[in-house]
Amino acid sequence: MNYSQYFGEFGGRYVAEVLRPSLELMEKEFLDIIEDRDFWKEFDILSKDFTGRPTPFMFAENSTRIIGGASIYIKLEGLANTGAHKINNALGQVLMAKRMGKKRIIAETGAGQHGVATAAACAKLGIPCTIYMGEIDIKRQRPNLFLMNLYGAEVIPVRFGSRTLKDAVNAALMDWSGSFEDTHYLIGSALGPSPYPSIVKTFQSVIGKEVKSKIAEKKIDVEAMVACVGGGSNAIGFFSPFLEENTPRLIGVEAGGKGSDRGKHASRMSGQGKSGIIQGYKSLFLTDKEGQILPTHSISAGLDYPGIGPELAYYGKTGRIEYTSATDAEALEALQFFAKNEGILFALESAHAGAKAIELAGTVSKDKAVIINMSGRGDKDIFITAKLLTPDEWLNFLRNEV
Amino acid sequence: MKNRLMCHLIANYPDFNKSFEIAEALARGGADSIEVQFPFSDPSADGPYILKACDIALKNGFTVDKGFDLVRRIVNITKLDVFIMSYANIPYTRGLESFVKESASIGIRGLIIPDLTLNNDEGLIELGEKYTIPIIPVITLTTPQERIDAILSIQPEYVYAVLRKGITGESTEITNENITFLKNLSQEGVKVLGGFGINSREQVNSLAPYLFTSVAGTVFVKEIEKETGDMINRIEVLTASLVTDQSTTTSKGGDFSSSINICR
Repeated sequence: MNYSQYFGEFGGRYVAEVLRPSLELMEKEFLDIIEDRDFWKEFDILSKDFTGRPTPFMFAENSTRIIGGASIYIKLEGLANTGAHKINNALGQVLMAKRMGKKRIIAETGAGQHGVATAAACAKLGIPCTIYMGEIDIKRQRPNLFLMNLYGAEVIPVRFGSRTLKDAVNAALMDWSGSFEDTHYLIGSALGPSPYPSIVKTFQSVIGKEVKSKIAEKKIDVEAMVACVGGGSNAIGFFSPFLEENTPRLIGVEAGGKGSDRGKHASRMSGQGKSGIIQGYKSLFLTDKEGQILPTHSISAGLDYPGIGPELAYYGKTGRIEYTSATDAEALEALQFFAKNEGILFALESAHAGAKAIELAGTVSKDKAVIINMSGRGDKDIFITAKLLTPDEWLNFLRNEV
Repeated sequence: MKNRLMCHLIANYPDFNKSFEIAEALARGGADSIEVQFPFSDPSADGPYILKACDIALKNGFTVDKGFDLVRRIVNITKLDVFIMSYANIPYTRGLESFVKESASIGIRGLIIPDLTLNNDEGLIELGEKYTIPIIPVITLTTPQERIDAILSIQPEYVYAVLRKGITGESTEITNENITFLKNLSQEGVKVLGGFGINSREQVNSLAPYLFTSVAGTVFVKEIEKETGDMINRIEVLTASLVTDQSTTTSKGGDFSSSINICR
């Protein structure tokens, strides 16, 4: 495997001196396990029996017919245990942490999916964990808080800053600065100081590998693969076997939120992202002209983050990955479209990819295919989607419950 | 008898004029030097007090230009040694060279950018040499010896010694481990600035023999936050209480004389 701390100009390890030794140790361990057959054997067994891999690869026949363009396929990654791709990386890193002799796991979470996955993996593998989650995200994703607690995790609300994902990352970094000797910080996205982006990509690459073998098996002529991009863990995993090839087109969909005004979206690759060094890595961030992080907005907590994984920023710069964005409204519409026509429920994050894939499929000829990564399923979002789509009924339901 | 003390303040906290008045109070109270933190929205090595103070400073309109204006005034009027501390993205966004150049032109004594470290410094160390302004590396209790050697091999004028794990603002108990760590460092002939969790005269006293200067930060933010009486006066009194060594100060041995500079 090609391992580097940098991806072009992006990446690196910009952390306080106190965290350097832990990252160096982690890098060594990571390079070790890549070659360790026993490690991968254990990972594969758990992936199969616990996560439920391989996840289905579905021909969206009805949607294809309705749109009338390219064949639409959907990787149903959200059918993995705990409801999203996050479990792949959580499982891998918990195994790695145990191999390093760590006694405790900490993690940050935005939407809560990474927190839930981490809590479940820790429950399965018998190691205590603490999850940091922004207070605003807790409000948006209350059910996930309940689940994390059920899996035995301690969840600490983060009450400073914008009280969202970026602040949860800061809180976890603060914890880790004092606890690194016996604690592993399990970053859930393909970002942070090196070697995290590479570790997360490695554990998530299982998504892309499964898709690649299905493409070969079904002899599909793929025009494009489409994934949503917050920090970018599902996208980098989904795209990974294709990054060094020239085809198919790889399309990352960012949160267009409520429009392109400052603070109303989380599109870093739309031209508004500026080169920055934040939270341990160099990449493109939504910052003001002084370098202070700007507020972001997305209907989906998982895309509501000011930075993008460094490797994804790099491939954006080289042009290998194309970026676009979907608004809150477009995501919500796509979610309803696939629910009604395919009987599958996209997470709001993944629905951003769904929205742009539908759009694209309509412009591509019928002998081609477009593949969407449904990185998560949308059960977790009902407090948002039900409230928006059926406000009166939902309110009545909640009243009755109270 | 007086201990050397570097006092930390946050530029534009609680506002521009007050932060300058605080600097004057620190000077009157007997501080030797001032570390001015340029606030960043996401200061991941800082505890809740400094974090909140940075938030307020930003809400009240901090800009890097204002930060440099403030530092210029502090240097010109108090005549103290002034250091600037910030996180990487602030100087990086300004342009590292322009940031270092402007810092040097103001006459500050050094720059502390904790997330730009040796080998991941974006050229900061070279720029420090070019504009003859010390870039101050951080060394912690858990930094491996070979890393310490690498850092010292670039011959920094100062190093910032972090006295415990974790973030700023939690209290630090001065242990034998701290003392051994500082003794070893000060034998290297580098000026050691020691901080993280310094909030009492006793701590300053017990560290003084091993440090060029102690650094206190959060204790001032906590004092500023209190809403009783004349804040500026309280800061002056607090500074004086930290620097005054009322016990009999004795040198703890001659083998780290390079760091002993406690009496003036």
